[in-house]
Amino acid sequence: MLDQKSSLSVTKDCDLLYAKARRDGIETVWERHEAQQPQCGFCDMGLSCRICVMGPCRVDPFGEGPQTGVCGADADIIVARNLCRMIAAGAASHSDHGRDLVEVLAGVANGSAIGYKIRDEAKLKRLATEYGIAVDGKETLALAGELAQEMMEDYGMRRKAIQLVDRAPQKRQEVWKKFNLIPRGIDRETSEMMHRTHMGVDNNWVTLLLQGMRNALSDGWGGSMIATEVSDILFGVPTPRSTMVNAGVLKADQVNIVVHGHNPVVSEMVSLACQSQDLLDLAKAKGAVGINLVGVCCTGNELLMRRGIAMAGNHLMTELILSTGAVDMMIVDYQCIMPSLGKVAGCYHTKMISTSDKAQFPQMEHVEFHPDNAEKKAFDVVRTAVENFTNRKGAPFIPVEPQPAVGGFSVETIISALGGTADPLIDAIKTGKIRGAVGIVGCNNPKIKHDYGHVTLTKRLIENDILVIDTGCVSVANAKAGFKLPEAAEMAGPGLQAICKALGIPPVLHMGSCVDNVRILVLVSALANALGVDICNLPVAGSAPEWYSEKAVTIGVYFVASGVTTHLGPMPPITGSMNVVKLLTEGLKDVVGATFAVEPDPEKAAIFLRQTIEGKRQALGLDSRSVG
Amino acid sequence: MNQVVVHPERCVGCMQCMLACATAHSRNGTLFGATLERPQPKPRIHVGAGRFNEGFPNRCRHCQPAPCQSACLAGAINRIASTGTVMINLDRCINCASCAMACPYGVIRFHEDPFGPPNRPIAVKCDNCSNRVVKGLIPACVEVCKAGALTWEAVDDAMRRKNREVARAMTGEADCPNVPAGVALLKFIKRAELELNER
Repeated sequence: MLDQKSSLSVTKDCDLLYAKARRDGIETVWERHEAQQPQCGFCDMGLSCRICVMGPCRVDPFGEGPQTGVCGADADIIVARNLCRMIAAGAASHSDHGRDLVEVLAGVANGSAIGYKIRDEAKLKRLATEYGIAVDGKETLALAGELAQEMMEDYGMRRKAIQLVDRAPQKRQEVWKKFNLIPRGIDRETSEMMHRTHMGVDNNWVTLLLQGMRNALSDGWGGSMIATEVSDILFGVPTPRSTMVNAGVLKADQVNIVVHGHNPVVSEMVSLACQSQDLLDLAKAKGAVGINLVGVCCTGNELLMRRGIAMAGNHLMTELILSTGAVDMMIVDYQCIMPSLGKVAGCYHTKMISTSDKAQFPQMEHVEFHPDNAEKKAFDVVRTAVENFTNRKGAPFIPVEPQPAVGGFSVETIISALGGTADPLIDAIKTGKIRGAVGIVGCNNPKIKHDYGHVTLTKRLIENDILVIDTGCVSVANAKAGFKLPEAAEMAGPGLQAICKALGIPPVLHMGSCVDNVRILVLVSALANALGVDICNLPVAGSAPEWYSEKAVTIGVYFVASGVTTHLGPMPPITGSMNVVKLLTEGLKDVVGATFAVEPDPEKAAIFLRQTIEGKRQALGLDSRSVG
Repeated sequence: MNQVVVHPERCVGCMQCMLACATAHSRNGTLFGATLERPQPKPRIHVGAGRFNEGFPNRCRHCQPAPCQSACLAGAINRIASTGTVMINLDRCINCASCAMACPYGVIRFHEDPFGPPNRPIAVKCDNCSNRVVKGLIPACVEVCKAGALTWEAVDDAMRRKNREVARAMTGEADCPNVPAGVALLKFIKRAELELNER
């Protein structure tokens, strides 16, 4: 057991449930992280290479031992190759999620995706128009089929450029053209990245990293953007909704079903099944008051954005939520699902269901969902969950009362809340009431006190009149901290407070899941276009205070490559090459007008981000405050 | 006389010394073969985590006088005069753990050993790879350490070198740091992360 000098989290439910989990003899992510110490310094610095079998190799950071791998790659090449493979993996993950949605869209068009439908025809038409499809006089389903085909082409190799880069401001596209960063195909860039990092291909660490940026852009303006847009077409464009967050959203007297993972393709069908009268009747017969569907991780965010469904927790809470003993079933799809969950659930009555043909886990029952059977499978698993209600072992431990929050801010709703144009926001930025905006995104990581980075940074930024937009695991942290209510305007600085009160919005806007980071790209593009500048000129920044995953690396890189200076809490594995460190933290400014900064302490990160924003304001000729 | 010298500031925590040690003390002699062997050979060098999660390779110092030797009533611990290595006689060890209680460094472990008596745990610790050294090899942990945290040399030589490094650092240029920049950067970040947990 950890020598717990201080608490692991800034959230009460985490600490209370951690204590419960330990009493129940459960090993959590924190014990496993402790057991891994010290973590391998070669790997931590990016200096180990497992790419070929002349190796594995490692480079001595102290300069006495080997300075190159067997192939002759030096520290710069090895670090760059390793980082680029992280980018490729992250891009592959989000973009494959997007591919699954395109398949559902195609399935809706040809009638094979039973139970799915086009929920937002207007958005379908807008997208089709963007893809150059003639919209007039076409049936909705025919249009959906054509759009799916066009999007499939984005994944392939026949294009010179993927379609949605056209959404970027002209000046940004010119920057990309100049450095050959325009992605040609979503899968193509990932494949080429893997090719270039094979032994004996690209051994120039600079051109490797440039391809890394093009690969990340193929996700940000390609796969992820398609994922978000097609989700909106199939499940609806999010609008602001009231919801509840933290472990208190579990209900002792209801059947609790938790969805975990990322893709709404599964969770939306589960959500429909939970409303089935037959199953609600069955729940009553089993002694439950109802069926309570809640989310963890990003598939929860997808449901929250569109249905107002409650969120029980974020990444580091996923094991602890099971230790309530209140979860009758957890249904997972893919990404960020700890393989430990099945074992944790084994201590309780919780049934664990994996659903994706590409993601199986120990000690989980596999019920494979496909677009043609998802409706029926969802009904079946929800029935199993209801039947499991009577198997609970003792009274559940639900340690806190739920915290209300508002989520569901798509770009469309933000613009409509502003009265149809971005002008009020731009005016507020120009007059300095709002200094700028920061997108705080990403994960949890046991290296950083749970949610401390997210909550502290958000608090400091809104106090200083900086609008915060968040996605993914950050959004749960911030909702739990109470930042997502209109009343939270009180916590903001005077300028931001006035704007929030006038519009009736919270100072922290929940923009969705981690693929929904692309909504931030669309929003900053709209702002840049309205001001006639490039994204890198805007008083905006990005931050991932507690990131852990390869997907987060890709997001960070597509933010920076799009011109958004981005702060990272944990250090990526690059310190083995100070050349790579310098390029990412300084040199990229001359390439894409934005850089990375690494700072684990959110108090110091807040100062850095404020300085960044005030600096951009000054360059735009707006008033600027000194930060120090 | 050469011995294994530990340079803790160089340890990157990769634990390769542990794998090499267990392999060197297996019957099979290869890493994969050693993992399949029963009883399982185990490392006699132990990488622990420091306050800032920095690695520290902890191994027997072959003390003189050796508290473990003094504590061993069974007379199972002796010293090889020519090399100074403190050795445990596998057949005389009675598994009483007195040596472990006396050891100031916590580097004596108890388990069955591929070369020990069958079905009986005994005290196991670093033997300075005596079997390798007589063949002209250096200790396995030193051989695999690519960061220079373990060296095989006379202590006086190591200390003279360190003395020279310290002296030079005193008069060194400001832009000529003692530790490579990337190493210093990672250490700084790790400390900062851990300090957040105290808040």
